Amino acid sequence: MDALIARADTIRPLSELKVVKTRDSGKGKAKANSKGKSKDTSTSNSDYTLQSISSHANVPKSLAPLDPSSSKSKNDEVPKYNHIANKKLRSQLVHQHALNSNLSKNALETQQNLLSLAADDAGSIQVTGPLEKTWRISQDEIVASVGGEAVKGRRELTFGPGQGAKRMKWSQNGRHLVFISGKGGTKVSSVDWMGGNVNCEVDLLAGSNLAGAGGNGGGGEAARDVTFLQDQSFFAVAQKRNVFVYDRDGVEVHRLNNIIDPLRLDFLPWHWLLVAVTNSGHLSYTDTTTGTQIAVHRTKLGACNTLTQNRHNAVVHLGHQNGCVTLWTPNLPKPAVQILSHMGPVTSISVNPSDGGSAGSVNMPGRYMATAGRDGKIKIWDCRNWKGVVREWAVRGAGDVELEWSQKGYLGVLSGGSVNVYHPPHIVTPYTGSSSSSAPPLYLSHPIPHKPLQCLRFEPFSDVLAVGHNKGLSSILVPGVGEPQFDSLEADPFENAKARREREVKGLLDKIQPDLITLDPSMVGKFDSAALSASGSSLVATAAQSLLDKSDKVKWGANVQVKNVGVDVPFSRMKRVERLAVQGKLDTTGAGDDSEDSDVEMKEGGDGDSDDEGGLTREEMSKKRKMRGKNKSLKRYLRKQRKNVVDPQVLAVRAKVDRMREEAKAKKLQMKTGGAGEETKRKSALDRFKAGSGK
Amino acid sequence: MVKISVLQHNPALHVPIRPGDPTPVQRNLNPSMHPFAKARERTRALNAAKLDKIFSKPFVDSLEGHIDAVEVLTKPLESLTTVASGSWDGGLILHNLHTRSEMLKLPQAHKGKISGLCFADPKGSRLLSCGVDRNVRLWKVGTGDGEDDSGASSQEPLHVYPWKTSFNSIDHHRSDPLFATASSTVQIWDETKSAPVSNLTFPTSNETVSSVRFNLAEPSVLASVGSDRTFTLYDIRTGKAERRVVMQFRSNALAWSPTLPTMALLASEDHNLYTFDVRHMAAPVQIYKGHVAAVMSCEWAPTGVEFVSGGWDRTVRIWSSREAGGKEKGPGGREVVYHTKRMQRVTSTIYSSDARYVLSGSDDGNVRIWKAKASDKLGVITARERASMEYRESLVKRWSVDKDVGRVLRTRHLPKSVYKAGQLKHTMLEARRVKDERRRKHTRAGEQKPVAEKKKTIITEQS
Repeated sequence: MDALIARADTIRPLSELKVVKTRDSGKGKAKANSKGKSKDTSTSNSDYTLQSISSHANVPKSLAPLDPSSSKSKNDEVPKYNHIANKKLRSQLVHQHALNSNLSKNALETQQNLLSLAADDAGSIQVTGPLEKTWRISQDEIVASVGGEAVKGRRELTFGPGQGAKRMKWSQNGRHLVFISGKGGTKVSSVDWMGGNVNCEVDLLAGSNLAGAGGNGGGGEAARDVTFLQDQSFFAVAQKRNVFVYDRDGVEVHRLNNIIDPLRLDFLPWHWLLVAVTNSGHLSYTDTTTGTQIAVHRTKLGACNTLTQNRHNAVVHLGHQNGCVTLWTPNLPKPAVQILSHMGPVTSISVNPSDGGSAGSVNMPGRYMATAGRDGKIKIWDCRNWKGVVREWAVRGAGDVELEWSQKGYLGVLSGGSVNVYHPPHIVTPYTGSSSSSAPPLYLSHPIPHKPLQCLRFEPFSDVLAVGHNKGLSSILVPGVGEPQFDSLEADPFENAKARREREVKGLLDKIQPDLITLDPSMVGKFDSAALSASGSSLVATAAQSLLDKSDKVKWGANVQVKNVGVDVPFSRMKRVERLAVQGKLDTTGAGDDSEDSDVEMKEGGDGDSDDEGGLTREEMSKKRKMRGKNKSLKRYLRKQRKNVVDPQVLAVRAKVDRMREEAKAKKLQMKTGGAGEETKRKSALDRFKAGSGK
Repeated sequence: MVKISVLQHNPALHVPIRPGDPTPVQRNLNPSMHPFAKARERTRALNAAKLDKIFSKPFVDSLEGHIDAVEVLTKPLESLTTVASGSWDGGLILHNLHTRSEMLKLPQAHKGKISGLCFADPKGSRLLSCGVDRNVRLWKVGTGDGEDDSGASSQEPLHVYPWKTSFNSIDHHRSDPLFATASSTVQIWDETKSAPVSNLTFPTSNETVSSVRFNLAEPSVLASVGSDRTFTLYDIRTGKAERRVVMQFRSNALAWSPTLPTMALLASEDHNLYTFDVRHMAAPVQIYKGHVAAVMSCEWAPTGVEFVSGGWDRTVRIWSSREAGGKEKGPGGREVVYHTKRMQRVTSTIYSSDARYVLSGSDDGNVRIWKAKASDKLGVITARERASMEYRESLVKRWSVDKDVGRVLRTRHLPKSVYKAGQLKHTMLEARRVKDERRRKHTRAGEQKPVAEKKKTIITEQS
């Protein structure tokens, strides 16, 4: 249906169609179900729904053409900017263009070199025939075939029945792991996973570990969730009473008094915000650099057991007991998005951190969200539009389903007694088979005999998946799920103390203000046309509007006309754009496309000091002048010609004439009906009580 | 058989080989690895803009010594450190900028005000001064660099050129032993002769000439401004005045661009600075508005991109010349303003030869040294520091259109008097404009056309 509507919208001038087509063929597309090359589909009948999302769906600049030679015609061709009269500006634009294309080419080369380096390291499973299935491979086989350092990733930690890991979180760089274990979740441990050391163990049962500090919130209470802050040096624990912050050695350093009875925690690393959702359904944002609570939102949806963040726009996703998923930013008191996702409580949410989406295309990172509910369903959602699921399937097994996306876009699902991992392209590919709820092909499966399985987390920059179960914590090897090439400036598993300090200071300096959190992270640095038109001094409501709007094909609204006629800005006070528009010299072609547009009026430049008369454009003036001293028939001819020109003045005059006519008619009617009409019109205060006058 | 490989990092590749080595850095340029790259860059740009403001401490030092107002400052072409200043009491001091000491002090070089100073050679070993005592004096001064310093500075002038009228300005020819003086006439002198060689005054001019300057590239061309509101061009080869324009207001000072030979800068009494292309004198190339009182002096930077002006409003302003290829606009779209509490009317301003410093002489008898770029760091700068400074600079440039970054850049503190004067001036100009507009509205259409601002300033062009 949408496609149909979009197609109906495509009836537009030929010139524009041309532009659209050229744009299509150049850029990669995110058409979810097109498995072939994007070029093949775009040439003949292109889907215009793609236009609305092109800014999100196109390939990032640094990655756009994987082979620079393939798009040579596009890159090397410097636009001539012939429509720009100013020579200096033109040469500057050409120069800028050349510079930019050079730069992107260099970046591309560098990236390719880096990728080729990383390709050697990346993990994978290569099957030789269709009969070999990757999910048949057991962990023992993987361990046996890889050997070396990688074997260390496979570990089984046994703590005892009922004392297994309940919740855990990896640090940004994937070196450290913090988890809740112990009876009833009373023990929090931070470990250096790669080094194999224990940083600290905080026993919440033992009461205070520092005498008199009132530590651990009164002692003997269970931890609900745990998260690292900026790095392994601090971690926050959601305990029964408050959120507590412990340092690397397990010493309690902060107690966040204004978060009461928290259930889930997360940390937004670029904004330095600790997000907590409480049993009462309050979502609170705490700035960890200053310790202030910057926002508290009441979700009004009861206790919330599921919280996750989209790492690419810092939007917090909450899953509620009534099956709703809500998306929150600190700036909105209401959810930015609310969807009813499941028939039952939502048990787990995860957002795809990778940009590798469906087959043959590269997506905006953070595009897909996976949710699991107690109704036994897993659903994949497209975060750009929320019209239905991309894919859904049912899982077997008792207990809550937990899931998480890995860095490379593999989806790990914890259900019943086993861990299942699914391939990236198939998860987000809309299933077109007969039954609508078919699970995507399995990549790897690993049964764990210690039910219930409580949580799973993929280790960043590694092929390790940690699973917390009833008896302990086990980590399994899943080849290919980790990003092989880390960026030392962002997160480095091997950084030393000095580098960590350096990165912490840099991170603090680069802290992003919480007001910048929006659903669309590319908003920063873009021209804010909405704000401009909202302010009074915008291009709207000036004499230039007629032409500007004509070029924009904005429909005439009644209020715009009135505003337009009333305003009389002298020529000397107009902005340059408006002056050009009034003179008819405005260049309405885009900066990028210098194609010949038929509907653009390019007037040859005459003398520049034409003083306007009540917002008349140049051509109107000339027409008026032409009429002067002509005979009657010619005048009539010219007037008829002019009649078809629609501009705000004409519209306003017409509206005025109509109004006057209406008034005259009403008056006439009144005269005709005489006093009777007068009587029916006048109403007293008691009229409302009369029968039949209620409406 | 299934081939299985698992990602494993080689730790040896990621730690320094030897203890002193830098830690190896691994990059991944994939945008998905750098979330919020743009937002973070914006934060960095905002911080850079703020740092720029925090570090902007332009005042370097004040050179004292004069007991009356400093009237004129000059520097030799080829010296970084030497600067001469003359004051209203007839005192002449030769400053060394490096040591900030006085190389030569002549408390009574002239009787009364020293109105003009210039060095007679590029090295700066001879100095010409003129004053209201109707004398031009040639002084021998030590350059202070040791070599060819045959005899230190003397307290007595090498030569005295007496004349009938008091002088207002003096300038030396670039290569020949000629100099020009401005009094009620413009005269050319030979250093070896005691009377002027020629008189170049415009035939109909009988008013005072306030400043005269030789062109730097075409040294036989010179220009003058005077109290008859003219800007006049002369050629010493033809020996007469070539052309002049009469403006609405008189100009106080004049400077030729060091890089664009046809470009001249005028400091006008109407608070504005004008650049003229002498090939087209019908209108100035650009008008620089900002001062709230008469501009008393102006001087180009040696780079020819920026210039400095000092005004009656007690401020020194540094401008970026767009026609000379400067930045589109200064920081925040305006000029840089320097002021201190104790600085009075600024009568003379010059750039140092390395374009890093600006000197101003003012009514309070001090010569002040300012940084040309307010947030410049003095002293040795390491390569890393330099790189980060350049990065910050480019960030600010890139994000200057951002609302917050722009606001930080635009904000500047002005003394209350200057700020209020600016407001008042704006009100008056606005009222005048509105009045003009109304008048135009009520006249017959097309009868009164608005005159371009640039054309307004010129009354007539004569040759």
